Amino acid sequence: MLAAEFAAKLGAKVLTGEPRDNTEIKGIYCGDLLSWVMSHAPKSSAWVTVHTHLNIVAVASISELSCIIIPEGIKVDEATINRAIDENTIIISSELTAYEICSIAHDCGI
Amino acid sequence: MREISLHILDIMQNSTAAQARVIKVVITVESGKSMLRIVIEDDGCGMDSKVLAKVTDPFTTGRTTRRVGLGIPLFKASAEQSGGDFAISSQKDVGTVVRARYEINSIDRPPIGDLPGVIADMAAGYPTVEIHLQLENGDRQFVFNSREVKQVLGDVPLSEFEVIVWLREYISEGLKEIFGGVLSEINS
Repeated sequence: MLAAEFAAKLGAKVLTGEPRDNTEIKGIYCGDLLSWVMSHAPKSSAWVTVHTHLNIVAVASISELSCIIIPEGIKVDEATINRAIDENTIIISSELTAYEICSIAHDCGI
Repeated sequence: MREISLHILDIMQNSTAAQARVIKVVITVESGKSMLRIVIEDDGCGMDSKVLAKVTDPFTTGRTTRRVGLGIPLFKASAEQSGGDFAISSQKDVGTVVRARYEINSIDRPPIGDLPGVIADMAAGYPTVEIHLQLENGDRQFVFNSREVKQVLGDVPLSEFEVIVWLREYISEGLKEIFGGVLSEINS
Protein backbone atom coordinates (compact mmCIF):
# COMPACT_ATOMS: atom_id res chain seq x y z
CA MET A 1 0.00 0.00 0.00
CA LEU A 2 1.20 3.51 -0.78
CA ALA A 3 2.02 5.83 2.11
CA ALA A 4 -0.61 8.36 1.00
CA GLU A 5 -3.28 5.65 0.81
CA PHE A 6 -2.43 4.42 4.27
CA ALA A 7 -2.59 7.98 5.61
CA ALA A 8 -6.13 8.18 4.21
CA LYS A 9 -7.06 4.88 5.94
CA LEU A 10 -5.81 6.33 9.22
CA GLY A 11 -7.67 9.58 8.66
CA ALA A 12 -4.25 11.17 9.14
CA LYS A 13 -2.55 14.24 7.69
CA VAL A 14 0.49 14.07 5.42
CA LEU A 15 2.62 16.95 6.74
CA THR A 16 5.14 16.92 3.93
CA GLY A 17 2.77 17.62 1.04
CA GLU A 18 2.32 15.57 -2.08
CA PRO A 19 5.02 12.86 -2.19
CA ARG A 20 7.31 13.05 -5.23
CA ASP A 21 7.20 9.32 -5.83
CA ASN A 22 5.02 6.35 -4.98
CA THR A 23 6.47 5.11 -1.72
CA GLU A 24 5.14 1.71 -0.81
CA ILE A 25 4.74 0.57 2.80
CA LYS A 26 5.92 -3.01 3.22
CA GLY A 27 5.59 -3.25 7.00
CA ILE A 28 5.29 -1.26 10.20
CA TYR A 29 8.01 -0.66 12.76
CA CYS A 30 7.53 1.01 16.16
CA GLY A 31 10.38 2.32 18.27
CA ASP A 32 11.71 5.44 19.92
CA LEU A 33 15.35 4.59 20.48
CA LEU A 34 16.77 5.94 17.25
CA SER A 35 19.96 3.87 17.22
CA TRP A 36 17.88 0.73 17.77
CA VAL A 37 15.51 1.64 14.95
CA MET A 38 18.51 2.25 12.67
CA SER A 39 19.86 -1.21 13.34
CA HIS A 40 16.56 -3.14 13.36
CA ALA A 41 13.84 -1.53 11.23
CA PRO A 42 13.34 -3.42 7.96
CA LYS A 43 13.70 -1.38 4.78
CA SER A 44 10.47 0.15 3.41
CA SER A 45 8.72 0.04 6.79
CA ALA A 46 6.43 2.79 7.93
CA TRP A 47 7.97 3.91 11.21
CA VAL A 48 5.87 4.99 14.17
CA THR A 49 7.74 7.22 16.64
CA VAL A 50 6.92 9.89 19.22
CA HIS A 51 10.10 11.79 18.37
CA THR A 52 9.77 14.93 16.26
CA HIS A 53 13.43 16.00 16.21
CA LEU A 54 15.31 16.50 12.94
CA ASN A 55 17.19 13.25 13.67
CA ILE A 56 14.14 11.18 12.67
CA VAL A 57 14.49 12.37 9.06
CA ALA A 58 18.09 11.18 9.04
CA VAL A 59 17.10 7.80 10.49
CA ALA A 60 14.34 7.36 7.91
CA SER A 61 16.77 8.28 5.15
CA ILE A 62 19.60 6.04 6.33
CA SER A 63 17.34 3.04 6.96
CA GLU A 64 15.36 3.60 3.74
CA LEU A 65 12.03 3.68 5.55
CA SER A 66 8.95 4.45 3.52
CA CYS A 67 7.49 7.07 5.84
CA ILE A 68 7.39 8.34 9.42
CA ILE A 69 4.11 8.27 11.33
CA ILE A 70 3.83 10.51 14.38
CA PRO A 71 1.04 9.21 16.63
CA GLU A 72 -1.28 10.87 19.16
CA GLY A 73 -1.37 14.23 17.38
CA ILE A 74 2.12 15.22 18.58
CA LYS A 75 3.18 18.50 17.01
CA VAL A 76 6.14 18.17 14.64
CA ASP A 77 8.86 20.83 14.54
CA GLU A 78 8.76 23.09 11.48
CA ALA A 79 12.48 22.46 10.81
CA THR A 80 11.84 18.71 10.75
CA ILE A 81 9.01 19.06 8.22
CA ASN A 82 11.05 21.34 5.97
CA ARG A 83 14.05 19.00 6.01
CA ALA A 84 11.79 16.02 5.34
CA ILE A 85 10.41 17.80 2.27
CA ASP A 86 13.99 18.47 1.07
CA GLU A 87 14.91 14.82 1.64
CA ASN A 88 11.71 13.52 0.07
CA THR A 89 10.75 11.82 3.35
CA ILE A 90 7.04 11.51 4.08
CA ILE A 91 5.82 12.46 7.56
CA ILE A 92 2.27 11.55 8.54
CA SER A 93 0.56 12.93 11.63
CA SER A 94 -2.13 10.77 13.19
CA GLU A 95 -4.38 11.30 16.21
CA LEU A 96 -4.32 7.53 16.89
CA THR A 97 -1.96 5.65 19.21
CA ALA A 98 0.84 3.45 17.85
CA TYR A 99 -1.25 0.39 18.72
CA GLU A 100 -4.28 1.68 16.82
CA ILE A 101 -2.10 2.54 13.82
CA CYS A 102 -0.63 -0.97 13.81
CA SER A 103 -4.08 -2.54 14.14
CA ILE A 104 -5.34 -0.64 11.10
CA ALA A 105 -2.18 -1.60 9.19
CA HIS A 106 -2.87 -5.25 10.01
CA ASP A 107 -6.47 -4.91 8.82
CA CYS A 108 -5.14 -3.37 5.58
CA GLY A 109 -2.98 -6.43 5.01
CA ILE A 110 0.32 -4.64 5.68
CA MET B 1 21.72 4.39 22.07
CA ARG B 2 20.72 2.19 24.95
CA GLU B 3 23.77 3.10 27.02
CA ILE B 4 25.80 6.26 27.59
CA SER B 5 28.98 4.22 27.12
CA LEU B 6 28.00 3.54 23.49
CA HIS B 7 27.85 7.28 22.84
CA ILE B 8 31.29 7.57 24.45
CA LEU B 9 32.59 4.76 22.20
CA ASP B 10 31.20 6.52 19.14
CA ILE B 11 32.92 9.80 19.99
CA MET B 12 36.20 7.99 20.81
CA GLN B 13 36.08 6.38 17.38
CA ASN B 14 35.65 9.83 15.84
CA SER B 15 38.82 10.78 17.75
CA THR B 16 40.83 7.86 16.38
CA ALA B 17 39.58 8.70 12.88
CA ALA B 18 40.90 12.22 13.53
CA GLN B 19 44.35 10.72 14.28
CA ALA B 20 44.24 11.53 17.99
CA ARG B 21 47.21 10.34 20.04
CA VAL B 22 45.56 11.07 23.38
CA ILE B 23 41.87 10.60 24.18
CA LYS B 24 40.74 11.74 27.60
CA VAL B 25 37.33 10.74 29.00
CA VAL B 26 36.33 12.48 32.22
CA ILE B 27 33.05 11.58 33.91
CA THR B 28 32.04 13.71 36.86
CA VAL B 29 29.15 13.87 39.28
CA GLU B 30 28.73 17.63 39.54
CA SER B 31 28.50 19.24 42.96
CA GLY B 32 24.87 19.14 44.06
CA LYS B 33 24.85 15.54 42.78
CA SER B 34 22.07 16.09 40.28
CA MET B 35 24.08 16.18 37.03
CA LEU B 36 26.49 13.73 35.41
CA ARG B 37 29.04 15.41 33.15
CA ILE B 38 30.90 13.56 30.42
CA VAL B 39 33.81 15.22 28.68
CA ILE B 40 35.71 13.57 25.83
CA GLU B 41 38.77 15.45 24.75
CA ASP B 42 41.24 14.57 22.00
CA ASP B 43 44.30 15.99 20.29
CA GLY B 44 43.18 14.93 16.83
CA CYS B 45 43.06 17.01 13.69
CA GLY B 46 40.05 19.04 14.88
CA MET B 47 37.55 20.91 12.76
CA ASP B 48 37.30 24.44 11.48
CA SER B 49 34.37 26.61 12.56
CA LYS B 50 32.48 25.91 9.35
CA VAL B 51 32.45 22.13 9.89
CA LEU B 52 31.92 22.52 13.62
CA ALA B 53 28.76 24.58 13.08
CA LYS B 54 27.29 21.68 11.16
CA VAL B 55 28.24 18.60 13.20
CA THR B 56 25.04 18.48 15.25
CA ASP B 57 23.07 18.37 12.00
CA PRO B 58 22.41 14.69 11.22
CA PHE B 59 23.00 15.30 7.53
CA THR B 60 26.66 16.11 8.18
CA THR B 61 29.15 13.26 8.14
CA GLY B 62 32.83 12.62 7.71
CA ARG B 63 31.96 9.43 5.91
CA THR B 64 32.17 9.15 2.20
CA THR B 65 30.11 5.96 2.03
CA ARG B 66 26.89 7.64 3.09
CA ARG B 67 25.66 11.13 3.49
CA VAL B 68 24.14 10.94 6.96
CA GLY B 69 26.03 10.84 10.27
CA LEU B 70 24.24 10.43 13.56
CA GLY B 71 26.87 9.91 16.25
CA ILE B 72 26.95 13.48 17.50
CA PRO B 73 23.25 14.30 16.87
CA LEU B 74 22.15 11.20 18.81
CA PHE B 75 24.44 11.97 21.75
CA LYS B 76 23.11 15.53 21.84
CA ALA B 77 19.47 14.39 21.71
CA SER B 78 20.12 11.78 24.42
CA ALA B 79 21.57 14.36 26.82
CA GLU B 80 18.89 16.96 26.08
CA GLN B 81 16.06 14.44 26.51
CA SER B 82 17.48 13.65 29.94
CA GLY B 83 17.30 17.22 31.22
CA GLY B 84 20.91 17.90 30.29
CA ASP B 85 22.81 19.73 27.61
CA PHE B 86 25.49 19.18 25.01
CA ALA B 87 28.35 21.22 23.62
CA ILE B 88 31.21 20.62 21.25
CA SER B 89 34.23 22.79 20.61
CA SER B 90 37.12 22.20 18.28
CA GLN B 91 40.16 23.84 16.88
CA LYS B 92 41.79 22.84 13.63
CA ASP B 93 45.10 20.96 14.28
CA VAL B 94 44.61 21.19 18.05
CA GLY B 95 41.74 18.86 18.93
CA THR B 96 38.12 18.50 19.85
CA VAL B 97 36.19 18.58 23.14
CA VAL B 98 32.74 17.03 23.43
CA ARG B 99 30.81 17.77 26.59
CA ALA B 100 27.46 16.22 27.53
CA ARG B 101 25.50 16.53 30.73
CA TYR B 102 22.68 14.28 31.94
CA GLU B 103 20.29 14.83 34.81
CA ILE B 104 21.19 11.82 36.96
CA ASN B 105 17.65 11.09 38.11
CA SER B 106 15.90 11.82 34.81
CA ILE B 107 13.68 8.90 33.87
CA ASP B 108 14.97 9.19 30.29
CA ARG B 109 18.67 9.00 31.21
CA PRO B 110 20.19 5.85 29.73
CA PRO B 111 22.32 3.77 32.09
CA ILE B 112 26.07 4.29 31.89
CA GLY B 113 26.33 0.76 30.49
CA ASP B 114 29.44 -1.25 29.78
CA LEU B 115 31.98 1.52 30.18
CA PRO B 116 34.68 -0.96 31.33
CA GLY B 117 34.22 -2.91 28.09
CA VAL B 118 34.34 0.23 25.95
CA ILE B 119 37.51 1.60 27.57
CA ALA B 120 39.28 -1.79 27.69
CA ASP B 121 38.44 -2.51 24.06
CA MET B 122 39.58 0.95 22.93
CA ALA B 123 42.86 0.53 24.86
CA ALA B 124 43.41 -2.93 23.35
CA GLY B 125 42.28 -1.96 19.86
CA TYR B 126 44.33 1.24 19.63
CA PRO B 127 47.54 0.44 21.57
CA THR B 128 49.38 3.47 20.17
CA VAL B 129 46.70 5.86 21.44
CA GLU B 130 46.83 6.98 25.05
CA ILE B 131 43.39 6.30 26.53
CA HIS B 132 42.77 8.19 29.74
CA LEU B 133 39.68 7.63 31.87
CA GLN B 134 38.93 9.70 34.92
CA LEU B 135 35.91 9.27 37.20
CA GLU B 136 35.16 11.97 39.77
CA ASN B 137 32.64 12.35 42.54
CA GLY B 138 33.40 14.98 45.18
CA ASP B 139 36.83 14.16 46.56
CA ARG B 140 36.71 10.59 45.26
CA GLN B 141 38.62 10.01 42.06
CA PHE B 142 39.59 7.08 39.85
CA VAL B 143 42.11 7.26 37.03
CA PHE B 144 42.98 4.74 34.35
CA ASN B 145 45.66 5.53 31.81
CA SER B 146 46.54 3.03 29.09
CA ARG B 147 50.06 4.43 28.60
CA GLU B 148 50.90 3.84 32.27
CA VAL B 149 49.49 0.31 32.11
CA LYS B 150 51.50 -0.33 28.95
CA GLN B 151 54.72 0.74 30.68
CA VAL B 152 54.04 -1.66 33.54
CA LEU B 153 53.23 -4.50 31.13
CA GLY B 154 56.45 -4.11 29.15
CA ASP B 155 56.41 -6.62 26.29
CA VAL B 156 52.93 -7.98 27.05
CA PRO B 157 50.45 -6.35 24.67
CA LEU B 158 47.26 -4.65 25.89
CA SER B 159 45.32 -6.91 23.56
CA GLU B 160 46.35 -10.06 25.50
CA PHE B 161 43.14 -11.78 26.68
CA GLU B 162 44.12 -11.84 30.38
CA VAL B 163 45.06 -8.16 30.19
CA ILE B 164 41.68 -7.20 28.74
CA VAL B 165 39.89 -9.22 31.42
CA TRP B 166 41.95 -7.47 34.09
CA LEU B 167 41.35 -4.01 32.54
CA ARG B 168 37.58 -4.53 32.52
CA GLU B 169 37.60 -5.74 36.10
CA TYR B 170 39.79 -2.85 37.23
CA ILE B 171 37.62 -0.18 35.57
CA SER B 172 34.48 -1.91 36.81
CA GLU B 173 35.77 -1.67 40.39
CA GLY B 174 36.57 2.01 39.81
CA LEU B 175 33.03 2.66 38.58
CA LYS B 176 31.56 1.01 41.67
CA GLU B 177 33.86 2.89 43.97
CA ILE B 178 33.18 6.33 42.50
CA PHE B 179 29.57 6.16 41.28
CA GLY B 180 28.10 3.35 43.41
CA GLY B 181 24.98 4.58 45.18
CA VAL B 182 24.88 7.78 43.07
CA LEU B 183 23.94 6.25 39.71
CA SER B 184 21.04 3.91 40.44
CA GLU B 185 22.31 1.29 37.95
CA ILE B 186 25.61 0.83 39.82
CA ASN B 187 25.60 -1.01 43.12
CA SER B 188 27.84 0.43 45.79
